Amino acid sequence: MAIDVRTVRSQPVSRVRPAAGRSRSRRIRAALARFGVFGAPGLLVYGCFVLAPVGLSFWYSLTNYNPFNPQTRFVGLDNYRMLFGDDEFLTSLRVTSVLTVILVIVPNLAGLGVAMLLNRKGWFYNTWRGVFFVPMVLSSVVVSIVWTRLLADDGVVNQALGWIGVSPVGWLSDPSLALYSVAGIMAWQMLGFCVVVYLAGLQSVPAELYEAASIDGAAPFARFRHVTWPLLAPALTINTVVLLISAFKAYDHIQVITNGGPGSGTTATVAFLTLQTGFIANHQGYASAMAVVMLLIVATASAVVLRLLQRREVDL
Amino acid sequence: MRTTNSSAYGGTWMRPLAVTALGAVFAVPLYVVLANTFKPGADIASSPAALPAPPTLDNLQAVMDRPDHLFWASLTNSLLVTTLSVVVLTVLSAMLGHYLARTNSRWGRAATLLLLSGLMIPPQVILLPITHVLRIFHLMATVQGLVLFNVGYYVPFGVFVFAGFVRTIPVELEEAAAIDGAGRLTVFWRIVFPLLRPATASAVIFFGVWIWNDFIDPLIILGPGSGTTVTTGIYRAIGQYQADYGTVFGLMFLATLPVLILYLVLQKQFVQGLTSGATKG
Repeated sequence: MAIDVRTVRSQPVSRVRPAAGRSRSRRIRAALARFGVFGAPGLLVYGCFVLAPVGLSFWYSLTNYNPFNPQTRFVGLDNYRMLFGDDEFLTSLRVTSVLTVILVIVPNLAGLGVAMLLNRKGWFYNTWRGVFFVPMVLSSVVVSIVWTRLLADDGVVNQALGWIGVSPVGWLSDPSLALYSVAGIMAWQMLGFCVVVYLAGLQSVPAELYEAASIDGAAPFARFRHVTWPLLAPALTINTVVLLISAFKAYDHIQVITNGGPGSGTTATVAFLTLQTGFIANHQGYASAMAVVMLLIVATASAVVLRLLQRREVDL
Repeated sequence: MRTTNSSAYGGTWMRPLAVTALGAVFAVPLYVVLANTFKPGADIASSPAALPAPPTLDNLQAVMDRPDHLFWASLTNSLLVTTLSVVVLTVLSAMLGHYLARTNSRWGRAATLLLLSGLMIPPQVILLPITHVLRIFHLMATVQGLVLFNVGYYVPFGVFVFAGFVRTIPVELEEAAAIDGAGRLTVFWRIVFPLLRPATASAVIFFGVWIWNDFIDPLIILGPGSGTTVTTGIYRAIGQYQADYGTVFGLMFLATLPVLILYLVLQKQFVQGLTSGATKG
């Protein structure tokens, strides 16, 4: 029995305190085994289903690839040259920019306001918090269908406007208005996320800071400006980056609500146009060039925003 | 905090009033779904905002009894895809997140950076080539293919959550277990994984909600031939039964119910998961 205990113990000790020489190769083997078990499976799936496709997108974007055209050939930067003379694509860039600006600003501001209103304890405020959070867990398809009914020409919103004597508005049928309606619907769905993040930020502000500011005679607005707002910097960073990335990904709402219309491409984002060009028109090389441009814009925009906002956090 | 702030934003009744007014407007779409689910189809078109009086279960009954089994087939697919994806994702990203958080080599840092950059890749950038990659493995239009895609696409978020959490656990705990003679995998599953429970909870909730609600990926990867998930099922239903809003609302309600229950039960963990990065410290 005593011998058993000693042999069991001696083994792991040599692993913790490896001797030089012979055990070096054993250590490398152990590290490789650890990588094989813990690191490799996740990285392999990520590599196959994310990194390789990104690489393939770059490659396709340099070809005229089309599944119904047997002769795929290398065309260099032709697709990119064509993109920047393509009105449809330039329109989609404009649509994406408008959507992004609205989606970064509106839920951010409204979320801060709602969070400040809800920043109290008790069942009353907890219940309303629950209501504001629900859209986060709804499918974008469900949200889109409900809002399409609400904003239809004969929908609930226009009926309500009729009661107060306002003539019906073509929320989703007017080409100059549809994009703003879609942005509003997405903002409604994203609001809860911003509220959660701001509430957490508000609750992390130490009460003593407010007391100190009050004693120093700071008015409510001054307290917000100099105490609350600076301490919400991390929350602002998270909300802005998440909203930015969601705006670039915007696809589901557009396909279900407007399918890119009304009119020609008035709500077609780059993400929407990319899939339409790739899967409906089958110009896969050209669609890949759009995808690459989209990726470059998202990467640059999020890097810049992250850098700018995080510098604000550090400066506190 | 209550006493210091109450004077700052007006009288005591102003705040509850403002919250109720804003909340009521905000909740109109939620009310419309609830009210119309329990209302006869004809009334949905004529008076969408009215209360369902008397409420009826006809829409839910009709959805469940459909001869094409759209609801049950979609539900089965969604449950299968979501469960498989969440289990595989949680296991792989917990192990990978732990591995990367405990590795100090240059390669480990490079891999972490590469994974985290995946957080911002829009799915539309990779969907075209994904269909080709899946065809190579003969996984296009299969549940396994969709699950593998989900795992690859969401593993960066899982690693982000788990690696962040592992760094808060003292490494001595694991070393002590290793000295006691336990193998690496045993140490991980017996000692480390139970400690990661908060991270696991938020990862499972997020993966679950995202994958259950996902629309474009199942639409393209599963394709029209191999069935629908709840979201693509609803989408196809509005195309086919444009006039039959009773069915559409019943379908939407039933499709939302599982994720809504999950959310109501785990609301605390959900909010904690969202906010763990919102505050410094």
